[in-house]
Amino acid sequence: MADYSIWVLEYAAVEKFPFSVMMYGPQHQGTRKLPYAYVLIKGKGETILIDTGYDHVAYGEQLATAYGVSNYHGPREVLAECGVSPEDVTSVLITHAHFDHMGAIHLFPNAKFYVQKTELDKWVWALTLNPEYRFLTGGGDPADIVRAVEAAKEGRMICIDGDQEDVLPGIDVHLAADTHTYGSMYITVRNDGSRESEDKWIFAGDLIYTYDNLTGLDPEAPQIVPIGLAVGSQHNLIFASDRMMKSVGGEVRRVIPVHEDRLRTTFPSRLTDKGLQVVEIALAKGEQSRVA
Amino acid sequence: MDGTANSRAEQAVLHYVAAARPVQRLISATLTQVAGFALLLLTSRSRVSLAEGALAGAQEAAMRAAEEVRALAVPDIAAHHHHHLRGAAETLLQACAAASDQVRARSSDQGDALSSRLRASSDHLRTTASLLPGFELVDFGQACCAMHAPKRLLRDAP
Repeated sequence: MADYSIWVLEYAAVEKFPFSVMMYGPQHQGTRKLPYAYVLIKGKGETILIDTGYDHVAYGEQLATAYGVSNYHGPREVLAECGVSPEDVTSVLITHAHFDHMGAIHLFPNAKFYVQKTELDKWVWALTLNPEYRFLTGGGDPADIVRAVEAAKEGRMICIDGDQEDVLPGIDVHLAADTHTYGSMYITVRNDGSRESEDKWIFAGDLIYTYDNLTGLDPEAPQIVPIGLAVGSQHNLIFASDRMMKSVGGEVRRVIPVHEDRLRTTFPSRLTDKGLQVVEIALAKGEQSRVA
Repeated sequence: MDGTANSRAEQAVLHYVAAARPVQRLISATLTQVAGFALLLLTSRSRVSLAEGALAGAQEAAMRAAEEVRALAVPDIAAHHHHHLRGAAETLLQACAAASDQVRARSSDQGDALSSRLRASSDHLRTTASLLPGFELVDFGQACCAMHAPKRLLRDAP
């Protein structure tokens, strides 16, 4: 029986997202739906999120009208689908510092936040460069960093230096340096608590957008194909993907890309009355299904 | 107001927007940098030495931004916007001073002053983004997870 219940919760989406950004190479193969989502992990007295989503009040309208992001719902509505409120969240593991992953720190007043120190160090460095280098800091919002300062002042922001086991019980984090961002991290949940777990789930952040990044598009000749956007290198993205795959014995479905629309057909899921997907990855003992 | 006066007022606003936009970008980038520095300071003092050069650069940029804001020609219709732009620059300067005090351990307020100045600057900046178009704070054009609408190239212009 699993230690943690795990759900991937959609909170907004881009209905037509260029496939060539999700995966480097297919420049003329149209668009796919790109859900925005975070991961809820519940058990062992903890209520954990992987990423926070973004702050709709600040720039939701801009995102909706200019960039095609639709159907945003805040964490109070989204988490309620699993019987959780934002105040219940005890820990948030931030995979990287982009607006749609750490843009809502202020909405979780009781949580501790964990982020890789490299992500912060190199951002500070990149911001010292002239404006013509702004690609390196694209997707960041100054208000997010200010909120992180406020959380740090309250002792709620923890910087992690590289790989660390048992950041939370049975949960390890891994640095994937110079990949999608300077200090992206992925998260392993060993859902039987064992060091040599046979029930391991990996949450990839934006190191992959789709299962196709792990398999390629040709079933006859599988290959790892990186996403289409990195401030680091494609080389590092490929080998981070390789590490994640090897860690779960090559079982692709156990490496979870939160932006993958096909999660809803890979795992039990349901569409809420707001048109958002709830995907159930695992269910701990005593926890009721939220998709049945 | 007649048509000519209207046109003059519109031109004045357009000039203001064109001149103020780079200054707001400078404030935004510098604010992010100082906030990042503050984060290093509050989470691990041992890493601060790595970023002290960045703080010195940020202080110079904040001073330059404050001077450029003061030098803007402000039409009446943009006065509210300019008030917040000036507020963002001034509180950013105060944040830089508070960060220096923290580094030299001259402050015993556990970062209260630094945090509150950063918050004030961020709030002013966000207001500038809401008052006039073209002052958005996040460059979604460079973001990975927003749909990338095709932009018309200069050579395609009629």
